[in-house]
Amino acid sequence: MTAAMAFPDSDDFRSAALPADPASRVVKLEPFNRSEALSLGVELELQLVNTHDYDLAPYAEDMLRLMAQTPLPGSVVPEMTSSMIEISTDICHSAQDVITQLSPIREALIRNADKLNIAVVGGGTHAFQQWHERRIYDKPRFRELSELYGYLSKQFTIFGQHVHIGCPDADSALLMLHRMSRYIPHFIALSASSPFVQGQDTQFDSARLNSVFAFPLSGRAPFTLSWKEFEAYFERMTRTGVVRSMKDFYWDIRPKPEFGTIEIRVFDTPLTVERAAALAGYVQSLAAWFLQEQPFEPTEDDYLVYTYNRFQACRFGLDAVYVDPASGQHMPLRDHILMTMTQLEWHSEALNATQALGELRTSVEANRNDARWLREKQGKERLLAEVVRQAALRFRGGA
Amino acid sequence: MNLTSLFNDLLGFWSEWLRPSAGLPTVLWSLLLAAAAASGHLVQRYLGLPKVVGYSMVGAVFGLAGFEGAIWPLRGISLFLLELGAAVVLFEAGGRLPLRWFRHNPMVLVQSLLEATLTYFGVFWMLQLLGLPDPVANPIALMAIVASPAVLSRVIMDTRASGPVTERAMTLATLNTFYALALGYAQAGLIERAPQTLLQKLYPVAVVLGLSFVVGGILALALRTALRFMSPTSENTSILLLALIAAASALTAHVGGSAPLAALIGGVLLKTLNPKPWAWQRQLGTAASLLTMLMFVLVSIVAAQADWTLPVASVVLAVIGIRLFAKIAGVAIANPGSGASWNQAFWVGCAMSPLSSIALLIASNFTTASPLLGTMITQVALPSILLMEVMGAVLATVAIHAVGESSVPWTPQAFSTTEDTQR
Repeated sequence: MTAAMAFPDSDDFRSAALPADPASRVVKLEPFNRSEALSLGVELELQLVNTHDYDLAPYAEDMLRLMAQTPLPGSVVPEMTSSMIEISTDICHSAQDVITQLSPIREALIRNADKLNIAVVGGGTHAFQQWHERRIYDKPRFRELSELYGYLSKQFTIFGQHVHIGCPDADSALLMLHRMSRYIPHFIALSASSPFVQGQDTQFDSARLNSVFAFPLSGRAPFTLSWKEFEAYFERMTRTGVVRSMKDFYWDIRPKPEFGTIEIRVFDTPLTVERAAALAGYVQSLAAWFLQEQPFEPTEDDYLVYTYNRFQACRFGLDAVYVDPASGQHMPLRDHILMTMTQLEWHSEALNATQALGELRTSVEANRNDARWLREKQGKERLLAEVVRQAALRFRGGA
Repeated sequence: MNLTSLFNDLLGFWSEWLRPSAGLPTVLWSLLLAAAAASGHLVQRYLGLPKVVGYSMVGAVFGLAGFEGAIWPLRGISLFLLELGAAVVLFEAGGRLPLRWFRHNPMVLVQSLLEATLTYFGVFWMLQLLGLPDPVANPIALMAIVASPAVLSRVIMDTRASGPVTERAMTLATLNTFYALALGYAQAGLIERAPQTLLQKLYPVAVVLGLSFVVGGILALALRTALRFMSPTSENTSILLLALIAAASALTAHVGGSAPLAALIGGVLLKTLNPKPWAWQRQLGTAASLLTMLMFVLVSIVAAQADWTLPVASVVLAVIGIRLFAKIAGVAIANPGSGASWNQAFWVGCAMSPLSSIALLIASNFTTASPLLGTMITQVALPSILLMEVMGAVLATVAIHAVGESSVPWTPQAFSTTEDTQR
């Protein structure tokens, strides 16, 4: 399991380049590879900022060149615009494993950033960057996507965490995917760290996901619990010429057949790698609960409240209202998160994720997430550049 | 009838019928600045060149025409305006001088020391080879060390540049300005003295540095105190900043330090005391732009007053050539381990080619200290400054575009096919 790009890895999207005959466009979905159940992989998209005014700085190429000189677990790859990089872990087995891999990567990032006189920052958005000033990373694929999507590609200068979770087989992966969908609001509220966009407080805790909505084929995966049916759906989609590979889907959770995982993509990049690892531990504990206790059967009707719950979490974070898809009961999302954490205690203990979940629980009880931290800093400093500077110190463990 | 006498006749004619309240010089300076502003705009819009090229061209035309608004060597209000313009730019550059970067990446400091040393000795050797005496070669070699942060920052602004080459060129330009100011102002006082021992030579450097440090320290403390109760985004903070830099400039010049050096040190100290990002540049905006434009116009008016002959032109071209080579070589030799690629090192060297106000201030100090030697220094210094204010700005623009660090394409705006929404 290695880094997966946030952007589709397609050769050519433009319909003009597609074969005229729809039948000849059909692409077969690759088989779902074997992976160890509950194995983990984490990807983090990170911001590179200058140390003068703390705006995004186009240093991805230099950073990648320096990072390549240090032997590290996982990988470091470029992203769509030249002020972003993506780091990822190798296959991990626990949240502890994740932090063990992310820590040396973070140390190397900090060391190389110091050498280049820049800083590395977490967070789902840069607080005040202007999208039109961004430059597309010089790579044929990114240039091609930029031509297709126009300004959307520069507006996609947003930063997310992706968590891969290993599934025993293809059908289990789909079952896991649709069960996990009930917890999308939990993931959003816990990781929310993008309250500021283009210098303004959006009043959302996670404004990042609003940028993802602009892309075609975003949102939720179609409801099917059978891999055979999913393969048929995929082939029908490729026949339309709109889709060429799984990466063309921008779903909140999508299967990743080549890794044998499902990939959860709604997290904002947290301000620290410790919180990123804790979130991975939470996902893994949920997955263990699903696999070992089969606690509920997902249904198509779960998605009746999906978009509403998702909006609530983006807008209000931990203060959101959660509508239980099964009972229709309304309750504070914070309470539902704490309830799941109690349900997961036994599994988190078995997965060595007790400390990770404990840290998350403490923050939920205190009604704190990274979005709140950022707003508090801005309330005190009244200068977003200073908020970014302090976020950079927090990433390196200094604030 | 030559251009100068025609210009004088016109001035005489105007002064007869035009009697404004603030006097004819005010009208002339205002029109000159208006012409410079329009020229800067047109040069950028139709040629895709930095605005500073337009300012310099207008200044040069007025200078060649014999405009008497700024007489060499500079003194009085024109000298103060030049020092103030340089001080504002260097205060800002000082605030961008990342001291902690040198701790994490000492090779950047090595690059700076090497390019400055090679430039000094390269130019000194070249001038000796061409038969100039040491007391003339030394000031010109010191002046050649400077890579104008003023020109570079204007080019960065025009191209909306950011990136490794832009940042490194700006840092190295600020550092070599620091060396040249400390050495240049100190040695100007020694120009007509008998040969000195090393200690005797270092003493004035320590005095200039010490005095500038004291004034810079007071400036930084005053601003630090103001920032405790004033918002960094307030317009009043920007005005306070400008007023304090002006006061510090006048004070430093009076006590025998270097006004631009004091401002540079003030910027560094304030950033150390107050590491928060600065936010007053936007508020300073047009006021700072007017001041720097005035500075570029002044420099080119003065520099255009030089005597242009073929032998002088050959010396000037030799100085410019060896200076460019030394800067590229200095940056490149110390490049391994500095985190930059060879390509970036080459373009950093090129981006440091501009010469402008700081070099003129150093040359002015030597000329004031020794009018006799000053004439010989002026002969080479002024044409070099004029040429490299324009060519340096163009070369820095080429460098920024070559490494892809500009946010705007290098097609003149008038001919650009991509739609660029007005901000």
